[in-house]
Formats: sequence, C-alpha cells, structure tokens
Amino acid sequence: MLPRPDSFPVDLPPRHSVLSMPYTLTPGPATGTTLAALKQRRLLGSRFKTSGKVVVPAQDFCPDTGDSQFDFVEAPHTGVLNAFTETAEGLLGLVRIDGSDVDMAHRLVDTSYADLKVGQRVSAVWSDAPDAGYLSLSGFRPDASAPLGKVEPYAGGVEAVKVVPYHLDLHYNHAYGPFFGRLFDEMRTSGRILGVRMPDGDGALLPPREIDDISHRPSGTWVEIKQTGTVLAMSIIYLEFVGQKQPPPYIYAEILLDGARTKLIHNVSGLDMSRAKELVKPGTRVRAVWRVERTGSLDDISHFELLDGEEQH
Amino acid sequence: MSFPGVVVLASAQTELRPAWHSAQHVDLISAVSTAVFQGTGLTLEDVDFVIDSGSDVLDGRSISNCGFLGAMGAHHKEESRVEEDGLWAAAYGAAKIAAGGASAGLIIAYSKPSESDPNLFYKSQVEPFYQRPVGFDHRAAMGMQAQRYLADHGTSVGALAELVVRRWQDAASRGRVAIDSVPDVAGVLASPNVAAPLRQLMMSRLVDGAVAVLLVSDEVALRCGRSAPRITGVGTSMDTHAFAARRAGRLEAAEVAARAAYRQAGWAHPAPSLAEVSGSSAVGELMVLEAAGLAAPGRGLDLLEHGSPVAVNRSGGALPADPIMATGLVRLAEAARQLSNPGRYGLAAPRSALVHGTGGVGMQSHCFMTLEV
Amino acid sequence: MGRHVAIVGVGQTHHSRRRTDVSQAGLVREATDRALADAKLTMEDIDSVVVASGPVLFAAVNQPEKWVVDAIGARLKPVVRITSGGGSGLAGALQGYYQIAGGQAERVLVVAYDKLSEGALQYSISTLYDPFWGREFAVGIMGFSAAYWRARMDVLGHTEEAAAMVAVKNRQNALSNPYAHVKQAVTVEEVLNSKPLAWPIKLLDVPPISDGAAAVVLSSERMAAKSTDRPAWIRGMGYFCEADNAAARSLLVSEPLALAARRIYRSAGITNPRRQFDVVEVQEPYTCFELSYYETLGLCQPGEAAELIRSGATAADGDIPVNPSGGCAGANPIGAAGLIRLIEGAAQVMGKPAGLRIPNAKTALVQSGGGWANLRGIAVLSA
Repeated sequence: MLPRPDSFPVDLPPRHSVLSMPYTLTPGPATGTTLAALKQRRLLGSRFKTSGKVVVPAQDFCPDTGDSQFDFVEAPHTGVLNAFTETAEGLLGLVRIDGSDVDMAHRLVDTSYADLKVGQRVSAVWSDAPDAGYLSLSGFRPDASAPLGKVEPYAGGVEAVKVVPYHLDLHYNHAYGPFFGRLFDEMRTSGRILGVRMPDGDGALLPPREIDDISHRPSGTWVEIKQTGTVLAMSIIYLEFVGQKQPPPYIYAEILLDGARTKLIHNVSGLDMSRAKELVKPGTRVRAVWRVERTGSLDDISHFELLDGEEQH
Repeated sequence: MSFPGVVVLASAQTELRPAWHSAQHVDLISAVSTAVFQGTGLTLEDVDFVIDSGSDVLDGRSISNCGFLGAMGAHHKEESRVEEDGLWAAAYGAAKIAAGGASAGLIIAYSKPSESDPNLFYKSQVEPFYQRPVGFDHRAAMGMQAQRYLADHGTSVGALAELVVRRWQDAASRGRVAIDSVPDVAGVLASPNVAAPLRQLMMSRLVDGAVAVLLVSDEVALRCGRSAPRITGVGTSMDTHAFAARRAGRLEAAEVAARAAYRQAGWAHPAPSLAEVSGSSAVGELMVLEAAGLAAPGRGLDLLEHGSPVAVNRSGGALPADPIMATGLVRLAEAARQLSNPGRYGLAAPRSALVHGTGGVGMQSHCFMTLEV
Repeated sequence: MGRHVAIVGVGQTHHSRRRTDVSQAGLVREATDRALADAKLTMEDIDSVVVASGPVLFAAVNQPEKWVVDAIGARLKPVVRITSGGGSGLAGALQGYYQIAGGQAERVLVVAYDKLSEGALQYSISTLYDPFWGREFAVGIMGFSAAYWRARMDVLGHTEEAAAMVAVKNRQNALSNPYAHVKQAVTVEEVLNSKPLAWPIKLLDVPPISDGAAAVVLSSERMAAKSTDRPAWIRGMGYFCEADNAAARSLLVSEPLALAARRIYRSAGITNPRRQFDVVEVQEPYTCFELSYYETLGLCQPGEAAELIRSGATAADGDIPVNPSGGCAGANPIGAAGLIRLIEGAAQVMGKPAGLRIPNAKTALVQSGGGWANLRGIAVLSA
C-alpha cells in the first residue's frame, strides 16, 4: 500500500501542450471587399441606409443598430486621433476617419507616445509589402497638415476576398497536480500504473483523483493496478485528420485494466489488421507494452497487445 | 417584474494565487464543490443542478466542462456551461430557481490563467480581420479607456496608484488572496508600462482559483435555519463588439445593466451598503462605480474617502485578484459574506449589496446583481 | 414550474458545406432575421439573447457572442453564450426558457450556429480529451462513438444493417427538407459498402459537416398571441450529464438521456412515449446513435431498436416518425444541430414544417446532446 499523494508531493514541471489550429476564415462581403481594396491603397466604408451612418472600415452590420443595408463608400486617408495607448504591440489609437461616424482602431506609426495628442490630425501610412493583408494600411501617423478629407461614392473595381487563411497557436503549461504527478512519475521511473481506491474500497480509480465522480466522496489509498485488462469498446480507425498522431489503420480502444473501475483510452496493435474485427472485440483481453524510453505520460505505454492463451471474457 | 426569492446560502473559495502549480483544475474545483456545504445542513444530494463558468481557451480543452463534471458534483444532475464570467452563471441559476424548476443549485466558476497566455484569451476574442492584425486587444482597450478618463476628468495616475494600493491592502488583510507584499504608490508607478497610461499594477492581476456558490429557494433557506442574503435584482447588458464604436468615456452597457437590476430590486436610487465590483483596470473599476450611479462621472475616487456611504471592494476587488471567468462569482461570494459577517469587514449592519461582473475586451459586457438581507 | 413558455418563431439558414458569402456573424444574422420575421417581431421586441455555438476552437473566435452581437443588432441587450458541444442549441434554448419561466424576460431570442468549414474539425474535437489522459489517442468523437456502437452491437443487436436503415430513412426524409445540405437517397447496400472511417462507422453513417445557423423566439404566454395563434408550448425541457470517466459508465445506454426522459416525461405527463408522441426529432451525429435513442427514449424496449427501424415504424409514414426532417444526415452544423431539432419538432406541432409534414402532429419529442455522449437533453412540445 502506498501513501496518499499529499504526504509525498511530486514536483514535476508542468506539461507543455500546443494546440496549433489551421483555419480558413470567411470575412463576409464588407470586410472581404475592404481587404481587397486595401491592396489598391483604397479605404472603404459602409454607409448604412436607414441611419445614414458611415462606418470605416466597412462592416456588414451597423455596430449601433444592426442595420444590414449599406452602400460602400470610399473613405479619405485622413482623420483625427481620438484616443491612444502603448502596449507590447506598439502604439495604437482610435482614429476617426474624416466623414466616418465611428472610430477605428489601428496602429500609430512614425511617432512616439509622448508626441501624441487627442485631436491631432493623422494620415494613412501604406505598406509596400505585396501580401500585407489588412496591414496594407500600416497605420496612421501624426500629420498636422493633413487636409480634411471627404467620403466619396464607391468607384467599384474590387473583387472581394472570400477566404482569409488563419492560424491559432495556443500554448499551455498544464500542472500535473498531486495525482497525475504521482501516476506519471511512477510510470516513468518504474513502469507501474497506480490508481487510488474507490471510496467504497472496491476497485480503483484510474486516473487517480481526489474525489470519486459518482459518490463525490474522497478516494482512498494508492494501489498498483495490473497491466492486463479487457477491451470494453473498440473501433478501427481509417479516417485521416489534421493533428493525427499515427497513420491509419489502427485500433482505438477503451480498456478496463484489471483492478481499475474506470477506463483508459489507448490503441491495440501488434496484430494482423486485416483480421482486426475478429481479433479485437468487447471482452478481448490485452496487456500493456511499454516503450523503452519513458517520459511520464500515457504514451509511455506504446500500445496494448493481445493476451494470448487466456480465456476470452 | 418581480424576482421570487433566491438565497445565496453559502460559498466556498480557494485561495486566489498567481499560480496554483501544485493543483489541477479538478483539484481546485472539487475543493470548493465539497467545502460549500459546510455548516448548511445540505449535501450534494440536495442539489438539483450545476451551472458552471470556465473557458475552453484558458483551459486548453474543448467543452472543458465535460472533463470536470465529476469534480463539480454534477454527475447525473442537470448541468450547463455559461462561457462567461461566473456572475452570469449565478444569474442563470437564480432564474432557474425563481421559475420553480429547482430548489437548490451549485454555481461553480474557476480558472487557471497561469497555464496559458492570457493575452491570447483576450486577443482571440477580437474579430480576426480588422482588430487582430493590428494588435488591438484587451490591454489596448483598457489603455485607451484610461487615457480618455484621465484626460476627461483631470485624474492623475498618482490617484490611480493610491486606489491600487488600497485594494491590495484590503485584499491582503481581508480577502483570500495570496499576496507576498503590498505595493506602495511609488511601486505601482514604477511597475512596467503595460498599456499607457496604465502600469502593470493598475491592471487587474490574473490569478488562479475556484469558487462555488450554493443558491437555494426561500423554502430551503428557511429549512436550513440560516439567515442569508437574497438576490433581489439582476441586470445584464452587452455593448457593441467594436471598442472603437462604443460611446467614448462611458460604460454604457454597465449603465444599462445596473438600471435593469435596480428596477427589478425596486431601488429608486442606488444606495447599497456595500459594493463588490470587477474592474479590469483601476480606471475600469472607477468607470463601473460611476456607471452604476454610486458616484458622479469622474468622481469614483470619492468612494475611497472616509465616510463614503458605500463600502466598495472591501475584499480588494479584482485589481489584486482577477481569476478570469470566476471574478464576478467571487464578488458575489464576498458580498454575501460581508452581509453575513459584517464585523469582520468593519461594516455596521449592512442591509444591501451591489455585485458586479464583467466580460470581454474593454469590458464589453456587464452583469449587476443586488443582494438584500 | 413558473410561467408557461412557447416557441413562437423559428428560422434557419440553408445549410451547406461552405458558405463563403457570409462570415460567422453574418450566418447568425440570417437565421435571426428569419426567426424574427416568423414571429412577426423585430429585435426591439426581444428582451434577451442567448447565443449557442460549439467549442470556440471550431472557428478561432473566443467568446464569439461578443462579435455576433453587432450582426444581430442586439447592442445593449442581455446577451450570453451557452455552450455544450453538439447539445449547445438545446442547452441554449433551456437557458432562454428559464429566463422567461423565471420572470426575467418576456421574449428571448436563442440563436445557435457553427461554421465548421473554417476549422479542422476532428482535431478540434479531439481537444475534448484530457491533455494528460487520452488526447494523444483521440479520434474526435467518431473513435469512441464507433467503439460504443461496437459494444452495443453484440449485446443489443444494433447491427450495421439496422444503422444503414437509419441512414436510408433520414437521407430519404432530407430530400423534402429545403434547408438540408445533403440531398441524396441511398440504399442499405450503399451504406454498408461505403468507406469505413472508424469501423463500424462508415462514410454514409456520418452526417455532413455543415455551415449553418438556427434561431427560435421564445415567448411568455402573455405575449405569445402577438406572434402566432399556434405556438409550440414547451411542456418540459431538461439537460443532464454524466461524469465522463465515472466508474461503471454504461456504454449500452445513455444514462443522462434516460434520466432526462424519466424526469421530463413525468412532468409532461408522458407515460407511453410511443403512443403519445406524434413525431420525434433526435440528433444523430452517427446513425448508430438513433438506434440507441429509440431504446433510451422508450420508443421500444432495449434490444428492439433494430426491429423498430426495420418495421418502418419510425419512417415518416410510420406510427412513430423519427427525424422526418432528415435529422443530422441532412445537415449538421454541430452547435446548431440541437436547436434545429427543436425547430423541426416545433414546426410540426405548429403545423408548418418546411419539409415532410406529419399529419395532426400535436405532441413532439426532441432530443439533443453533446460532449462524449455524456451531455444529454430532451424537450417535449405540444400544440
């Protein structure tokens, strides 16, 4: 019997995890057209039909009223600075383009925080980079001599951008906590799988945790769990998808280890995949096969293999 | 419109720490979901439903409530995830009890911003075409808001620093917040520039933690024999997404939400004994207090003065401890505690409290709740 | 329960694989406009808005209700987002229901959507799994759904043929649904011979991946008549869960769904579901789920689902039609799917389904759910 985790804290550095997601975002008509127009160094706005309000850059919906009926307009490249700040991203301001009824947030360039003043005139700065996207308009710079611009009718000649590729990278440092810490430490160092006893003492929770999900009562002492178990459910994966860790086909399985009351998710392999349907079923007995190099994760178990010679459940 | 009796019977909260390295989400959550029943005579079996607040983006998992249901005590109960500050979860729970659909509910909110880059939490909230590419985010919004506020009202950054120091002092002495040392005014002013004119310490400090609040019907509260505050009014409102298109110098959504809560509570003039509000920055907190009508525009700092009619953020509020997604529910738990144990907070016979939560970039969304004893 | 609540207006988009003509927010606007028009209301009449959508990783916008608010003209209204994976739409409607039943609002707009063409679906769904415990082996929800079906196959006789009949029925029904995204009749043989994706799940057991939005207007009794003289009354609605890795979690029956059915049937006076319901709409992310729901919802006894589908009882002209709309097989914008089921059930009892009409439908059962099949809810509607 092993002690409770709080008496032997395992201090692992957090586990780094990255979610790296590709996207193809749809900007919609107003934004798509504006993005395309910016490449031609034109700034578009929407003039909403019921209110007459001009919003720059163009939006499909009036932020005030939700009005969806609008005409594009060509906005001037000059305006007034209404607010500003400096963050790790640089200088940012709220600029009211001449003739617009709302501010727009953008970068402030060729200046410093100390030189900025609410009410000062600004003018657009354009990028020479061919694929700058929205940043074709690099930002605005103070320009005392910027003439007062006017909103003009839209001249046309712009093919809207329909899709904007995008990527989201989210980084995490997940704490192991007392339970996963102990579990993975034991898996890494000794190749043992530990759970904690159910509150009623009958069987073990795997992964171990402080509170049993059903009774909501504290779990019991640590207990080693056998490395053999029974397949509760399985499917044969042929699907390919972004982020997949291994090439199909392979077997997804939910496995109940002997002595555990809760399942783990893993793969069953090391078998003739053409006979997978008959070889692996609910009730099939399996055994953990460990990797030589262990890092402290469920993946330290390379896979589960069929347990030959044992009577099938 | 009436609001039938819903009582804030009990609450439990972990310490709010910059990082709970030694615990997972489930550990924090189960700590509060078990402790909340202490002294109530109720158990989890008496609970009809769980409403929870948390964020997939902060948690690094999709439908993150799914993985925490057992820890929350939700197994085989009704459960819903409100992906907004926990005060909205409490509002949902209150409506459910008011409807007669349940007599006891557990409201749970938690977060561990220490596990991710919380700037991404906010950056990923702004629309991806115009605002994200230029680096516009929550900090920028708070900075611009502050720059305008200071210019409009002639408030000094030194005065903001004094507000921050007071809040940290209160948190250190009364709140359940891990604080190594309380900064002084010079320390606040010397902290790094985060969103000029705001310094690091003028922004709310993100912390890890969990909180659970037990809401029950009047009848259950009577049976428990506990005198506990009742929720008498709720109001919420969301402003436009585009920060640049919001009314300059005001938190219009906070004004609307506060008015709705007061109307429901029958408060002709807001005069709560105490207020627990969430400000994402020192200026944000002042603007909330002013939007709620507790101070005239630009006069929020007056509420710090001795003899102020409203005891504001005796817990320290969100500036020293902002567990995103749980901040508003912590305010509710704090306000209920202050009404129940006024002596410990230096309060004399308080009758009512105003509770506030906020969400979104530049405090786009607001929820107010009134409590009365 | 407090006050009575009715569905007085419904609307949905024409769902498709990819809408490049509107943004996520624009998609939400389309469904909103239709539901408001159906309820003869404008946004000004709405007290409160509930936005429901699937996990934010589907579409790269965190807390998207804060973006969507501009597109629906809901500035300064109460707006909150409920999310519950595939069950988001129904869970969102439940929040709106309680706002009215609890006296907080007279009319609530509930709008649900997902624009699944924008992200990497299986990858994002795989992040449902615990980063420490199983994520590296996850195959969206398809891997485990197929595995649970495999478990039910032996014990309950939910054969591949029976599931194929579900595909045939739902795809047939979808042909009449103007909003459906997939309109293609299939045969049992075609389903059985279709490409295995996560055996026993095959390509034609799987619904499409869709861009789509749906909206309903919920109303108090007092205001309902202003919108329609034939609302769909919500006689009961609930949404239950089970802890994912709870000891002894049954793979054979959805316990939270059984619990929801027991509770809601009791409050709605349903004692014989097969006889009392005129029409049923279930959210079948894969065909195998529909078989399981027959049993859990009490349309037949455990082990009789294969016979129920084979008998034709759940066909549009059967005695207990299930998914006359075509179900998810017709369109599957995940976060909206539950609300679409609610709309289709409501439209039947309101006497105005866009697709196949079940004659004299007075009482409808709607099922939805999400997560690892561990979040499950139902609604009972009546004319």
